[in-house]
Amino acid sequence: MWETVAQAVINGLLIGGIYALVSIGVTLIFGVVKIVNFAQGEFVMIGMYISFFLANQFGIDPIVSLLVSMPALFAAGVLIQHFLIRRVLGPNDMPQIFLTFALSLLLLNLALMLFSANYRTVHTSYSDEAIHIGGLYIPVAKLIAFVVAMVLSGALWVFLHTTDLGKAMRAAAQNRDVATLMGINPNRVFCVALGIALALAGAAGSLLMPFYSAYPFVGQVFVLMAFVAVVLGTLGNVIGALVASLMMGVAESLGIQFVGADSGLIVVFAMLLLTLAFKPTGLGGGRAR
Amino acid sequence: MKKDRKKKSVTDNTEPNQTLPKKQGRREFLLKTGGLLAAGAFGAVPLRGWAADPVNIGALYPTTGSMAQIGVGCVAAAKLAVEMVNDAGGIKSLGGAKLNLILSDVQSDTTVTRTETDRLITGNKLSAIHGCFASALTLIASEVAERAKMPLITGSSSDQLNKGRTYTFTPFARASQFARAQLQMSKLVSDQPKVAVIFENTAFGTSTSNGLKELAPAEGVEIVMFEPYSAGFTDASPLINKVKSSGANALFSVSYLNDLILIVRTVKQVGLNIAINGGSGGFVIPDFYKNVGKLAEGLQGVAHWNHDMDANAEKVNVEYKKRTGEFLFEYAGGLVAQTFMIADALERAASTDPQKVRDALSTLDVSSGYAAMAPGGKVKFGPDGKNVYGRPVGVQWQNGDLASVFPKEDARAPLMKT
Repeated sequence: MWETVAQAVINGLLIGGIYALVSIGVTLIFGVVKIVNFAQGEFVMIGMYISFFLANQFGIDPIVSLLVSMPALFAAGVLIQHFLIRRVLGPNDMPQIFLTFALSLLLLNLALMLFSANYRTVHTSYSDEAIHIGGLYIPVAKLIAFVVAMVLSGALWVFLHTTDLGKAMRAAAQNRDVATLMGINPNRVFCVALGIALALAGAAGSLLMPFYSAYPFVGQVFVLMAFVAVVLGTLGNVIGALVASLMMGVAESLGIQFVGADSGLIVVFAMLLLTLAFKPTGLGGGRAR
Repeated sequence: MKKDRKKKSVTDNTEPNQTLPKKQGRREFLLKTGGLLAAGAFGAVPLRGWAADPVNIGALYPTTGSMAQIGVGCVAAAKLAVEMVNDAGGIKSLGGAKLNLILSDVQSDTTVTRTETDRLITGNKLSAIHGCFASALTLIASEVAERAKMPLITGSSSDQLNKGRTYTFTPFARASQFARAQLQMSKLVSDQPKVAVIFENTAFGTSTSNGLKELAPAEGVEIVMFEPYSAGFTDASPLINKVKSSGANALFSVSYLNDLILIVRTVKQVGLNIAINGGSGGFVIPDFYKNVGKLAEGLQGVAHWNHDMDANAEKVNVEYKKRTGEFLFEYAGGLVAQTFMIADALERAASTDPQKVRDALSTLDVSSGYAAMAPGGKVKFGPDGKNVYGRPVGVQWQNGDLASVFPKEDARAPLMKT
């Protein structure tokens, strides 16, 4: 019995690491720029296709192609902030919602047109491998994804707390007007925030590629979990999103194991509703603004 | 007479520049496909004008839209089949008349299928139609053809096509036969098959898996796990954990591609030794192996046709492979056989009249030649248009090729244990 539970927890933590990369991006954009990026899942999809084509054409390992997908999506983030989002950052929320939503639809349909609805997979030497410890097993591809995801999250935390730009970003998140008064250029900070968020989505895509198939709708699967994690972990709170993502992964896994394979998400949403009922700002506490 | 000389063996309704015969691509196309046959036609023309009139065969396939990939392969096979009939001397009872294929793109859409089928029948003097492959489209095309009293022969497996229809002919296994074949295949894996059935919680998954559950006791197959899952899940590990603890030695996965890939991969990671059968679905086409690669090795399924069933099928497969670079998949191979069934009916009817062709099809009884390329090697239609000998063939991916492994009579390779 304990073995089954332990295995379910391991599975949950590993997939939770991927949810974390997506949700940290969403929460970072919300925290700093104060918009909800509905297109975050589509950037995961783009990351996956970048890795797929690099692997398919040049035989580059998907993990190595992080070095391409992350900078490419960072650049995309900067451009999107500078040319699109900056224009709609007014007192009215609606244009921002429509902008990111339209971006999501556009990217999705572009992918359908360019890549067709086919499932693409990359097969690496470690795709089907697993480490067996006692009666438990840890899939290698997921372990790599989890470790890299945690390293990236840690690096982001260090960046936000030790560098000037990171501190400026947190300052802008806490109070945009005061930050501007202190001489922080909000557009520059926003550009970097968008860039980092999209780079994380791209990283999630590349890390997924060795064990999940790429197709135009793939982002929708992950973005739903990301939004739940962001709310659960308090909007705008990076650590909260990380912890909530891991919790959700474990909850889903335990749900599939003990409730039913078609109802794993019941546990996740029950957890969300209970949290909101007793702690409306989310688990991250009072940092929501 | 001059008009006759210009007639090509293949007319493409969907080709927009039909009035520009000088275009380079078109000339090349003519040279490749029509040259030989046009030369043959010259010889026949002086005998008697009417005798050499080509026989028009309609072909309805989606060459654009979501089903285009399979549709395009079908069209290549349809052209190949017509060439084969014509190269062999055409329809002898009609003075060596050639078959003339009239293609129509049904665009993977039911509404378009209705109008295109109607247009094809009213706009041309047809003798018979084959087509659609996809059940949703074929059901519509068959309705229109029935009303126009036009014989339609199809590889679609929907059982509905055999209800209240007199002009529709289905030479291959029916959907209801697939589940039984799948259960019987599990006995190849073990004398006491313990099957875990996992299925996506949609109409498709539920109805297919319920079919398996109902038939299992009669086939002596024990179902030890029966579990729905939500389609498009991110992690198959917990589900495979359950399969592992169920003690099953065979796994039936009623899934679409994405989930199936995830399931196969997870089974390998867990190190679970279990035979996976995906039933009948989109994974018995060449593209699947291209996308999935080695992961597909050993995966079992059920098809209505396979390219290694007999010597004739293999011969056609070689030629098809030469042209398209891919092996002849079930729908494409099946429709080559269908074209020969139409040719056989035309031969016996000695007429291009659709009603007479229909009557000749209803008394078709072949057990050799290209028309008999079906699992079991025999085709004879019952009053419901169903091939009374029809049965599915069990297949398995082996070294990048789809090998027939079940039943014994059709098997060309032993089942590879995974």
